[in-house]
Amino acid sequence: MTDTMTKPVESLSEYVDRARAWLAALEPRFGAEARKGLSVEQDLALAREYQTLKSEAGYACITLPREIGGGGGTELHKILFTQEESKYDYPTVYFGVSLGMPVPMMLRYADQETIQRLIPPSIRGELIWAQLFSEPAAGSDLAALRTRAVRDGDGWRIDGQKLWTSWAQFADYAIGVFRTDPTVAKHAGLTFFWLDMKSPGITVKEVRKLAGKTSEINEVFFDNVYVPDSQRMGEVGAGFRVAIETLMIERYSVTDENMGGPSLYDVAKFAANARINGRPALDDGQVRHALADALVERQGLRSIHRRALNAMAAGEEPGPEGSIRKLRLARRRQIIAELSLDLLGAQGIALDPEVSRAQDAAWSWIEIPGGRIAGGTDEILRNTIAEKVLGLPQDYRPDKKVPFNQIG
Amino acid sequence: MDNDVRTMLLDQATRLLEAEVDQSRLKTLLEAPGSFDRALWEKAVELGWPAIAIPELGGGLGLDLESLTPLLQELGQRTVSLPLVSGYVTAMALLDNGVAADVVAALASGEAIAALAFGEAGDCGLMPAAKFANGKITGAKAPAAFAAVADHALVTALDGDTPGLYLVALGGAGVERDVLEVIDNARAAAGLRLAGAPATPVVTGWAAVLRTAGIAATLTAFEQVGGSERCLKISVEYAKERKVFGQPIGAFQAIKHKLADMYQEVEIGRGCAIDALESLVAGQSDFLSLACTARLGAGASYDFCARECIQTHGGIGVTWEAEPQHHYRRARSLALELGGAPFWRDLLVDGQRVLETV
Repeated sequence: MTDTMTKPVESLSEYVDRARAWLAALEPRFGAEARKGLSVEQDLALAREYQTLKSEAGYACITLPREIGGGGGTELHKILFTQEESKYDYPTVYFGVSLGMPVPMMLRYADQETIQRLIPPSIRGELIWAQLFSEPAAGSDLAALRTRAVRDGDGWRIDGQKLWTSWAQFADYAIGVFRTDPTVAKHAGLTFFWLDMKSPGITVKEVRKLAGKTSEINEVFFDNVYVPDSQRMGEVGAGFRVAIETLMIERYSVTDENMGGPSLYDVAKFAANARINGRPALDDGQVRHALADALVERQGLRSIHRRALNAMAAGEEPGPEGSIRKLRLARRRQIIAELSLDLLGAQGIALDPEVSRAQDAAWSWIEIPGGRIAGGTDEILRNTIAEKVLGLPQDYRPDKKVPFNQIG
Repeated sequence: MDNDVRTMLLDQATRLLEAEVDQSRLKTLLEAPGSFDRALWEKAVELGWPAIAIPELGGGLGLDLESLTPLLQELGQRTVSLPLVSGYVTAMALLDNGVAADVVAALASGEAIAALAFGEAGDCGLMPAAKFANGKITGAKAPAAFAAVADHALVTALDGDTPGLYLVALGGAGVERDVLEVIDNARAAAGLRLAGAPATPVVTGWAAVLRTAGIAATLTAFEQVGGSERCLKISVEYAKERKVFGQPIGAFQAIKHKLADMYQEVEIGRGCAIDALESLVAGQSDFLSLACTARLGAGASYDFCARECIQTHGGIGVTWEAEPQHHYRRARSLALELGGAPFWRDLLVDGQRVLETV
């Protein structure tokens, strides 16, 4: 209280200046050079140090209260900080899921004792949370999930398998949704819980991705895993609604405009040095056409993003057009990476383990397919635009009202 | 204050266009080459539209460009063709260079109509071959919107090797108009044959030509955004209503995803148009690059939406009676009138400029 009375209120540009200075000072400790050659375990240890500093400085979980280690700021502060932070290659990736969805959901559903015990260390990066949603037979169609939770005294017993669970190999806790009643329609028979990932009966197995040798995604197997009923989040049967609530937490998500790949600036520089039959590639009509398309799209997306921030600064909801961003950027990174590889010709097949993945066309190309799947496939995102923004009818869903155990 | 004026202008425009413009009126205009909706133009003049963004010292109302663009978007939605962009761009070129104050006043009052005659056969861009010498221009200009009815044209020509803009009185000596059948006859288009036509130099230099074209492109982008929006809207409505195989076509992903793609194009085009306008108004140095993205983004959006609007409508979409044909014609016409996309892409991806602005 005295703070707000004596200190003048910080403007957004002052906030950004302060964040920039704070971030810049940490580059020697946490930047790309410092991380080079680290094992995943070493990198994670470094990430925890960085996360603790963020929590102390108010840059971790910016929209959550200061008392539990958050930043006590607004959605806009969070976006502005994230934009600045993404200019550096700092180790933040391990906490993306943990702090993005499970932690805010725990604040809404868990009791005070649990919150005090588990959330501050989670925001400092000491604990990591996973999100147990997708399964082998339930990806885009989450309500088709099969992993079941059956009543057992004061709790539940879980059996089955989750899939695509990010960072489960390092997770201490998780939130998840399970089938508690297979005799009702698929959306109605689900219940939401949080659980200890070190519980007996849980096995985590890393899923190797098409790109690279290390992976953040896992299979999680449940064999008679006990979860107390006190760890239920929401009513029995309300699991689908709570799952949707989880996915809606971030009302405006920031996707880096290069999707983690090379920037258009890098690509243009590269094309200026590449040659086609001895002529500079940047003089070639095909290359110019592809670059122009990318520049036009980027400008449109920048405008949408800028107007969304202005709307939030004015206390308004940003428009639905922000929903096209990830859909466009993932596909564009793929197109641009293919173009860059084409310009390398035969040399393009080289996959150099030493180069930065944010700078290299081959790595950008081989990693991007996941970007068009995770967080909503291109097809689901188009459906969402068609149904939620344009008001078109839902797809034909023959299983929608059928009891789950009678779906063929 | 400006917001109130904007709302009032737009309300007025919507009421007038709602009352005056219907499908049969638009179709009549398509029938004959060089068509111009003179009656509608006179009503627009009464409401002061030509004067909106022209400064008061030029006889205009001196409102900001953001008061004009919603109106352009509204015209675009309805495929109404009025010489507002050509009038504003010509008046500003004259005013900025202190040329022909009487013409500026006539354009602001709506007594006179201007055309932008920038293109020529043989190059999809804007570099002219027409020659200016001794106060006269000789050369042929490609069909230009409103040239069939305009009193003045802002014309590109070379003085020696230097391109520049010139004002030509179209009723004067040495000017012949070729009114010919075009993709969109409602644009009042005519080619110009200039044989020693008296011309007033307005400004010289390629940069000045590009800046003027960029302003025209930016404003035209709002007409294109309006057209794209309308294509999406009528396509969505039709997809909800039209049933095949027992359900609305809008329940099939082939159509839903097409419409979702149209939505994306509309929003990309709108974003590019808004950013270019803001840069123009703020006098930023990146204006030409943003004018290019507005030109390309809004143009591609309208072409895409018009094309897929017909496709969504199926057979009815290719009839004379249905609305989509107006957009199909207008989208292409607007995309060509200020030079083809390859020219604007070239301008955007000039190596040096890309490296400076990204």
